Amino acid sequence: MSAAVQTLDISPVGRVEGDLDVRVDIQDGVVVNAWTSAELFRGFEIILRDKDPQAGLVVTPRACGICGASHLTCAAWALDTAWRTTVPRNAILARNLGQIVESIQSLPRHHYGLFMIDYTNKNYASSPFYEEAVKRWAPFTGTNYEVGVTISGRPVEIYALLGGQWPHSSYMVPGGVMCAPTLTDITRAWSILEHFRRNWMEPMWLGCSLERYEEIRSYDDFMAWLDERPEHANSDLGLFWRMSLDIGLDKYGRGHGRYVSWGYLPHEDRYNKPTIENRNASVIMKSGVYDGAADTHKLMDQSFTREDVGHAWYDEPGHLHPFDRTTKAIAKNDVDHDARYSWSVAVTHDQDGRLEAGPLSRQLIAGGRHGESWQHYDPLVLDMYKKMGGASVMLRHFARMHEGVKLYREAERILREFRLKDSWYEKPTERDGRGWGATEAIRGALCHWIEVEKGKIKNYQIIAPTTWNVGPRSNDGSRGPIEEALIGTPIADPHDPVEVGHVCRSYDSCLVCTVHAHDAATGEQLAAFRTA
Amino acid sequence: MANLLWLQGGACSGNTMSFLNAEEPSACDLVTDFGINVLWHPSLGMELGENLQRMLRALTSGEMPLDIFVFEGTVVNAPNGTGQWNRFAGRPMKDWVADLCKVANFVVAIGDCATYGGIPAVAPNPSESVGLQFLKRAQGGALGASYRSKAGLPVINVPGCPAHPDWITQIVVAVATGRAGDLTLDEFQRPKTFFTSFTQTGCTRNMHFAYKVSATEFGQRKGCLFYDLGCRGPMTHSPCNRILWNRQSSKTRAGMPCMGCTEPEFPFFDLNPGTVFKTQTVMGVPKDMPTGVDKTGYIKLTAAAKAASPAWAESDIFVV
Ligand code: SF4
Ligand code: SF4
Repeated sequence: MSAAVQTLDISPVGRVEGDLDVRVDIQDGVVVNAWTSAELFRGFEIILRDKDPQAGLVVTPRACGICGASHLTCAAWALDTAWRTTVPRNAILARNLGQIVESIQSLPRHHYGLFMIDYTNKNYASSPFYEEAVKRWAPFTGTNYEVGVTISGRPVEIYALLGGQWPHSSYMVPGGVMCAPTLTDITRAWSILEHFRRNWMEPMWLGCSLERYEEIRSYDDFMAWLDERPEHANSDLGLFWRMSLDIGLDKYGRGHGRYVSWGYLPHEDRYNKPTIENRNASVIMKSGVYDGAADTHKLMDQSFTREDVGHAWYDEPGHLHPFDRTTKAIAKNDVDHDARYSWSVAVTHDQDGRLEAGPLSRQLIAGGRHGESWQHYDPLVLDMYKKMGGASVMLRHFARMHEGVKLYREAERILREFRLKDSWYEKPTERDGRGWGATEAIRGALCHWIEVEKGKIKNYQIIAPTTWNVGPRSNDGSRGPIEEALIGTPIADPHDPVEVGHVCRSYDSCLVCTVHAHDAATGEQLAAFRTA
Repeated sequence: MANLLWLQGGACSGNTMSFLNAEEPSACDLVTDFGINVLWHPSLGMELGENLQRMLRALTSGEMPLDIFVFEGTVVNAPNGTGQWNRFAGRPMKDWVADLCKVANFVVAIGDCATYGGIPAVAPNPSESVGLQFLKRAQGGALGASYRSKAGLPVINVPGCPAHPDWITQIVVAVATGRAGDLTLDEFQRPKTFFTSFTQTGCTRNMHFAYKVSATEFGQRKGCLFYDLGCRGPMTHSPCNRILWNRQSSKTRAGMPCMGCTEPEFPFFDLNPGTVFKTQTVMGVPKDMPTGVDKTGYIKLTAAAKAASPAWAESDIFVV
């Protein structure tokens, strides 16, 4: 006879950037069912309706202060495709650089500020690594916590050189960028990058040079690297790896096993006349869908995107493409786990169903041979995925951190590629039409759809990485990616379910932008809610 | 040891991200150098679920003292004044805010959302968002115009979208170390030490402003952003060009027009068509004048300045 099911409501989960509520059913100490609810609604898409076509450049970075540069990138490319602009190569490079430094910033910030804190949880007091974990990673006072959190502010100094400040600049505009960096800006940016590498990436995170790390191409290479020198095993990466294995973080958090990436970093010579159609063939980091069970890769296309609202607090027909959403928020948002329980919608792929977004997805897609021959290719994480038997909390976090070195190299390349005497902006002609802009925020696939009619925004739709990941059940009943990943999670202490936190935080989900991303209601209805 | 609790309502986390960039003092310095005890923070706090709920109840009941309550994001009232569209730890966030503000010694609103409503409160304000003690220019907000914290102060407003990290940490430290008496607030409850001078103070494009030389398009290394591109630097109270952002720059130095984000009206003109990054003019004269300047004076000054403008003003001054 099996044990009774115990239901645990966790509100809030915390340290997931926004307010996430999770319900789990536990049987024999293991999660057997799960529901994730996003509990905040701000209605950004409603706010954007009827506004200036460029309002998205101001509003959408404020959808999420954590990946504002990624939102800005999408907003600018969406208008570029709608207005059929020409974008100078300097501007493409400057946009990419802004996005990259935001992503690099996020690595130590998430690692120390949000993720490693849980390794100091008393539940792990019997681990041989515990004492060292507390010394390094305790919040605010841990030795590496303080260094990591403080140095995370440096890469975005480069953002400030381009856009004046981070977060919340709007320096990317259709037709280019507002800035025109000088030789001193470029040199200064270079030295900031070097500082970040010499003071954190190499000595603290890797325990080796970037060059040595870049030689790792397979799971076996990685294990050999770990044993090669004590500096490797004792680096924050080495200790993360060893302690994760010791406390079993390689054993749960699997998920659906299907992954999506929009691809990102448009190439400066290939996307000067951007269209929705030519994007896949123009980005350095290729797009794709990876199916882990079948081990297949293919390209991703925005036309496959669908949104199901059957379990979300919206009243509209299911399975719509974002361009077709009529969106209507339900006023009474009672939680009913059998019916509607979240402000997030269920994003699906027309053919492949629920997909996971995020750094793990990007790395699994980077291991495919499905793109252009010149596009980025990296087999490491895909190899680990296969050898370790699929995804886990540990591999998902590793994949996130793995990208840092590659982004660093791309930032270096951009600084060499700028042609300071060439133009940064080409004034576009405003026109009506539909546009689409996509990228990969550090947390995963992000895109904006815009429709401009009679010189103002008719419809603006956002699908954030967390919308993919934290979505509720879809109309066919399949769980959202995090809901699915929670299945099988062992819970040692139901009064402190740190394991649920591990799974949610491995997705680095970011509720602040999900929750308003899929709102909507008719203008008339809203008038009734308006405050005086 | 001052107990600090930081919560987020209708927020984007931008002020938290900004806070983590702080330098003098840094976020970690608050704890290690100034003895501030960060009880919980949505992105940094240790506790989850019932453990946090227990702490929140200990604070609201007075069992645990709350010295500083920091709030980021709007207070969401939708739908229909219930606040159910933003629930936190099992109840509407607006109810937590009301209870916590009753017991807090000091309440600090960080960023435009918490101060004046900010972006979420742009018409039609779907979430019925308000700031803690204002909605745009109107006093009141979630707590009412007469609200005073236990130390006798109204909400201390640190606006900006986001607020600059050093504005945040300096105010928190000032309050925690017994310097609240040195705080003077302006009519919008902003600390005067930051919000008396203008964004324009210290802008590297000031000479171009004086000679009425305009940056006519983006991506130019010369010119003032006021005449064509909608810069609000001359009428915005902020130290953005005195206390630089991320140690390096400011929007106007980098070529982006100031959007006036430290003023209650941000975003100006509610982002209506034709108003974004374009100076609003009437017969060639800007609709919004630099603070303290009248139209006739402005027109006379323009003619004189243009005539006096040196040749270099039209070339790339921030040369490659
Ligand atoms: S760019 Fe803006 S802040 Fe700078 S001088 Fe001109 S108006 Fe003033
Ligand atoms: S320059 Fe203007 S818009 Fe930018 S942060 Fe300062 S006050 Fe806000």
